Amino acid sequence: MTERSRELESACKDYEEDLVLHYYGECGDADRKRIVGHLTDCTRCRHFVDDLQRLLPQMGKTEEMPQVFWDNYYRETIAKLDAQDERKPWWRSCLVFTHGWMVPAFGTVGIIVLIVGLLFGRGNLSIFNDRSPVKIPQEVLVDSNQLEFFKSMDLLESLDRLEQQDGTKGELNNTHTERVSFDRQVT
Amino acid sequence: MDDPQNFADEKLVALCQQGQRQCFEFLVQRYMTKAFHIAFNFTRDTETAKDLSQDAFMRAYANIKQFDGRSSFYTWFYRIVVNLCLDHARRRGRVAWQSLDDIGHEPGEQQHFADSTFAPDQEAMAGEAKRKVNATLEAMPKKQRTAFLLRNHQGLSITDIAEVMKTTEGTVRVYLHRAVAALRQSLVELV
Repeated sequence: MTERSRELESACKDYEEDLVLHYYGECGDADRKRIVGHLTDCTRCRHFVDDLQRLLPQMGKTEEMPQVFWDNYYRETIAKLDAQDERKPWWRSCLVFTHGWMVPAFGTVGIIVLIVGLLFGRGNLSIFNDRSPVKIPQEVLVDSNQLEFFKSMDLLESLDRLEQQDGTKGELNNTHTERVSFDRQVT
Repeated sequence: MDDPQNFADEKLVALCQQGQRQCFEFLVQRYMTKAFHIAFNFTRDTETAKDLSQDAFMRAYANIKQFDGRSSFYTWFYRIVVNLCLDHARRRGRVAWQSLDDIGHEPGEQQHFADSTFAPDQEAMAGEAKRKVNATLEAMPKKQRTAFLLRNHQGLSITDIAEVMKTTEGTVRVYLHRAVAALRQSLVELV
């Protein structure tokens, strides 16, 4: 075993990759002739290829499953496909007649339309941003002087109300003192 | 009239794209063993391999309209299987290579490595070697492992592997060589 290991390790480094490809039959004619020529002279590389031929097929052996397994496998797969068909969303049926190339095609057309729109619109997107001001009739518009006037009028009105309130309070106070003096006289 | 079961993949796919589901069922029949074995090589578990390969068929059917015929159907489909297996391995954290040792214990199955080429007294040594091989495969980068499994276990050509892995043939050659080189010491133990 150790001797074998030593032999394999000492296979020619320059040929090792080619020997692997040669084993798998992946060499061109020229390479194959070169490798075969080398193998007739090099015992170590010949042992290396012998080991590959003996060992690699064993690693690749696959289990033979019984026919029942494959029957069940096929039946299950078909059942899963049926279930997948039933789960298919409604909009998928609308896409039955569409082809794979249509999606990128429509996407490209959309982008082209957008670019053309921007170019011919001279890149002016102000229509989306600047809205024209709503026209208000001149008679509705009120300038600042008029507003000040109305404010002062409001103030005057509120002063009048305060004075009125003061007047009514004075009258109420007078009647109250008269009633108190009358009560004292009675007692 | 020709039996659709004998149609080429491309024709079955074209008919399937026109809505004939039965044509896809022929493709399932044609590729179910390959799909299962690829998934089994990655997962080493029968049930998981069955689920993953069936999921691959469902995914392929759902996306059959996106198949544009630039590659062959089977490389397109193998790519789906491999991606599902790698996603599964990523979710699990690692590939369950250790279960390779348990294959021989399942009823009706034979051990891979302890076959007639080994004398009975060498079987213990072969078991140890298997563990080393499994450990090496487990530690291997996923691209190397994929290239190795597709070439060594599934017999795909380097051109097809490059198509499945979406890489160049030169890169696949390098992956394959590195994988075999990494397995070299383990392979020696099996002699």
